[in-house]
Amino acid sequence: MLHEGMTLPEATLLQSGEGGIHPVSLSEKLKGRRVVIFAVPGAFTPTCDSAHLPSFIRTADQFRDKGIDEIICIAVNDPHVMRYWGRVSGAEGAAITLLADPGAAFTKAVGMDYSMPERGMLDRSKRYAMLVEDGVVKRLHLEESTGVCEISGGESLLEAI
Amino acid sequence: MSLSVGQRLPDATLVRMGAKGPEQVQLSEVLKGRKVVLFALPGAFTGPCTTAHIPSFIRTADAFRAKGVDEIICVAVNDPFVLQAWGESTGATAAGISFLGDADGSFTKGLGMDFTAPQIGLIGRSNRYALVLEDGVITQANIDEPLQCDRSTGESLLETI
Repeated sequence: MLHEGMTLPEATLLQSGEGGIHPVSLSEKLKGRRVVIFAVPGAFTPTCDSAHLPSFIRTADQFRDKGIDEIICIAVNDPHVMRYWGRVSGAEGAAITLLADPGAAFTKAVGMDYSMPERGMLDRSKRYAMLVEDGVVKRLHLEESTGVCEISGGESLLEAI
Repeated sequence: MSLSVGQRLPDATLVRMGAKGPEQVQLSEVLKGRKVVLFALPGAFTGPCTTAHIPSFIRTADAFRAKGVDEIICVAVNDPFVLQAWGESTGATAAGISFLGDADGSFTKGLGMDFTAPQIGLIGRSNRYALVLEDGVITQANIDEPLQCDRSTGESLLETI
């Protein structure tokens, strides 16, 4: 289960960009860097789309002012969906990196998965945001309910670092 | 089962976006006593699905209705949030095409139509096919080879009815 002080497990995520889809090694991405990672239940779902992602678009520059090297959003969606979501939501314009965890391997490895089959959501990620330094979780803001975005929002994490 | 003329499509619980959010629907109830075109594809926001498959049914939707088709349904292994966003961005929703999400892939697997391409983040997705169903029984089945978008297009299916 994800907690402060833990080293994130190695995971291969997928990123879609101009050159197509390519695998991203999470441990290589995090090595020697200060990174903000936030995870959402799904692209185009109401709270993610209307609150969570916009909160990091608003605060992206302030995170960079605090020495954050990269802001990453992870969701259990495929990279095709993530890319389009990034484009229409403004995340791409704000230089937020969208990484797909399509088989939920990373999300399950950190114990953040949940399912709501009646809403068509299976093995999705709980909502959280964290500061990761050299692969180690320094701050973790985990939302108790997936349907709200308070402590896991950009402003809340910004205040904590 | 295989998809062949004369067979009854197995029942399935699928998810669609209703007025109050996602809702489950029994496929057998949607098909009962009606003439329906049902086509399936690998995923929302993926290349050929967005540029070729969906547009072929947008172009032919009125022609299908003129031939007595009550509803045109697109099935994909996606959640209802993603399908809603895709339907709106492609113009398919405006053309009167409905979307049913096989979120857990069980319907697609039951038909033996599933495939997995992990390098592009597609897991347990559907190969392309297009069916005409009358009262739940298959009266025409156009099935594509994996990665092809030919026999299952709107124009190809329209020619057969």
